[in-house]
Amino acid sequence: MSKRRIFFSKTGMGKYISHLDLLRCFARTIQRSGLPVVYSQGFNPHQKMTFALPLPVGVTSECETVDIVFEDTVSDAEIRQKLNQNLPVDLYVLAVETPVHAAAEITAAEYRMVFTTATEVTKRQIQEFFGQTEVWTVKKTKRKGEKKINILDYVHAWEVLIAEEGEFTLRVVLDAGGERNLKPEILAKAIENYFLPLRIEEKEMHRCKIFCNNKDGTREVFA
Amino acid sequence: MDSMKFEQCLKKVQKPARYIGNEFNSIHKEWTPELMSVAFCFPDVYEVGMSHLGMKILYHMLNAREDTVCERVFAPWDDMEQEMRREGIPLLSLESRKPIREFDMIAFTLQYEMSYSNLVNMLDLAGVPLRAAERKRDEPFVYCGGPCAYHAEPLSDLVDFFVLGEGEEVNSEIMDVFKLWRDSGESREAYLEQIAKIQGIYVPSFYDVTYHEDGTIASFAPNRPGIPQRVKKRIIKDMDHTFIPEKLIVPFMEIVHDRIMLELFRGCIRGCRFCQAGYIYRPVRERSPERLFEVAEQCIQSTGYEEISLSSLSTSDYTRLFELTDGLLAMTVDKKINLSLPSLRVDNFSMELMEKVQKVKKSGLTFAPEAGTQRLRDVINKNVLEEDLIRTAKIAFSGGYNRIKLYFMLGLPTETEEDVLGIGKLAQKVIDAFYELPQEVRKGRSVSVTVSTAFFVPKPFTPFQWEPQNRISEMEEKARKLKDSITNKKIVYNWHSSDVSFLEEVFAKGDRRLGEVLIQAQKLGCKFDGWSDFFDYAKWQQAFADCGIDPTFYAHRRIGQDEILPWDYADIGVSKEFLKQELQRAYAGITTPSCREKCMGCGAAQFGGGVCFE
Repeated sequence: MSKRRIFFSKTGMGKYISHLDLLRCFARTIQRSGLPVVYSQGFNPHQKMTFALPLPVGVTSECETVDIVFEDTVSDAEIRQKLNQNLPVDLYVLAVETPVHAAAEITAAEYRMVFTTATEVTKRQIQEFFGQTEVWTVKKTKRKGEKKINILDYVHAWEVLIAEEGEFTLRVVLDAGGERNLKPEILAKAIENYFLPLRIEEKEMHRCKIFCNNKDGTREVFA
Repeated sequence: MDSMKFEQCLKKVQKPARYIGNEFNSIHKEWTPELMSVAFCFPDVYEVGMSHLGMKILYHMLNAREDTVCERVFAPWDDMEQEMRREGIPLLSLESRKPIREFDMIAFTLQYEMSYSNLVNMLDLAGVPLRAAERKRDEPFVYCGGPCAYHAEPLSDLVDFFVLGEGEEVNSEIMDVFKLWRDSGESREAYLEQIAKIQGIYVPSFYDVTYHEDGTIASFAPNRPGIPQRVKKRIIKDMDHTFIPEKLIVPFMEIVHDRIMLELFRGCIRGCRFCQAGYIYRPVRERSPERLFEVAEQCIQSTGYEEISLSSLSTSDYTRLFELTDGLLAMTVDKKINLSLPSLRVDNFSMELMEKVQKVKKSGLTFAPEAGTQRLRDVINKNVLEEDLIRTAKIAFSGGYNRIKLYFMLGLPTETEEDVLGIGKLAQKVIDAFYELPQEVRKGRSVSVTVSTAFFVPKPFTPFQWEPQNRISEMEEKARKLKDSITNKKIVYNWHSSDVSFLEEVFAKGDRRLGEVLIQAQKLGCKFDGWSDFFDYAKWQQAFADCGIDPTFYAHRRIGQDEILPWDYADIGVSKEFLKQELQRAYAGITTPSCREKCMGCGAAQFGGGVCFE
């Protein structure tokens, strides 16, 4: 048996599938596909499945991964083909590979965010938002507590891709992973609030890449 | 449809997965002008509606027709409804997200009376005129099927027609006639006149009702030639040779019954006198294990589900149960698929059966003695003995179970204080049974019994249809007495709300004068009445008062045996004479044997199939 990393996209209305639902969906997809998956031992046997970085509800993605243990009899290409035959339309397997990094090595993720605006927002106004020294918000912690954070501490890089009448698009790299993580939704809310009373609404959030840090501080795409 | 606006709504609501569609095996057809369209509506939220077997059958059956598209519609939860109303978005289908008022047919399934307000609310949200008489030629026909359709007179002003009985054949016939009518240019009425000739179709506007001064019905008769006085239900005679879906939609979110449901048979041989299903689904017709194996194999393959459940009114009455469970286990164990057997009876429960259920996974056990004393169990013809229950409990305890749920009813005809308190005593005997077992036999250190009571709702088409329901104060008094009598902490007691049971009775036995109450109640905001967080009795009282209607007339009155009943138009096959005879036997405490022991001549044999000819 061997662990394979399945790279997949989640698009369209699929962004509203919660993490728990996605888990169940993959389990059933594997059952349908008849692929030789390895079950856990124990009282309630189940397929061994690990998602590297859960995707928040409301975000689409082209870089999701799930690790699943298969028998060695099946090839990566066959896994990809059979999963795609059995997945719902909004989920699609892009590649199946042998894992390089461990999920624990993940440090950042890149998102594309599209906002609609009632009136024109200039590149400069957006620069001003990111130029602030601090933007405070309250973040829910894992233990049901709350924590005050400066959002900008979590932003590694940002760029205005397009700013035109009625819409602007950002590319941002945010902290991600078990250590420090910022949901893009929190940044979107902060931007919406910053421009008030101007009405700005987040329209699309899309995860483009997941990164690991190298020892020399450079970033490498999670593979 | 402005999909951007719809998406903005999704961002603001809980459980958006209820509204996204695109599940595996959902059917998305290319819409063309020639295609006939059916919006199949379940008047409750997604996770409830998606659990309904009938919808799965009819959805796939209608879509199997090349000339028809069938799409699903559920009641949006309150948060979503508010967003949609704010944005001016009408009720949409799940698949193509088209407004349902653009469909040819809007079909509702009526599974319980407490969903009627949701039906009204969904029509309102859809922008479809609420009263059938107000709908124009190019507007959809609204029709209803399901068990309540036999006695849904309260909806008869809102609905164009009802389908009585099983839908596999008749829903297709409806579409055949529609196809011809659509291109004919004829009136809506002309279509209804044509389908009223099909067995199983009831068009309420073709019947006039007059009333006596005391509110009872004076006459109920067709108002035009060619319309039958009574409408006979439809059944599927041969359960092996009828449409069974082999691909089921696999939802993303967890639904109430999130598993493959194998329908073993329709009907029930038992004839419990309180149980409407036991009469309206007669005669009992079984599927063969061979056919069920085929269906199970296909469904496992097409869904990837991790559980199969056997579905019927009384699983242990299936004649070839062991053959079936053995065969199913052979195909499921290796795939780690659970097999669950609901609706077991205590009188034929065995160790062998229990072992099959728990081969893959063990869960709690539920039994329904329904009444606390043998006398009352005889009255309701629940042929379960106390010894059976204790024997079953001991089998279960030695098999490793230590949680048992018991279901009872309060307010049954002839009930005395002894019967009420008998419930607590019976639960205590189950506890005692646990401690009577040697320690090495029983597994687990402690035992718990959950007792749930529902208030009895006398239903049409049962021997108790003429019986009055207990008043709310009586019901609550009984529940309190029972509660006070239970002192053992190992017994947990839950009971259902009495207001809901009262309203359920009103709409179960109601006539067409209640249509205005439903419309008024929707205006006042009544919806999701089956959900305790939404049910608002005060609003309903207001609606009755606004319409000048006394609901107790329907619930608390003993109905005369010679009265015309609001549901007399429906011919379920079982005769009124038989029901009267059963009522007399109930009063006398005489039980009636099951269909397999002795035919009592109920009338269902006229359908020419099933257990009547075994």
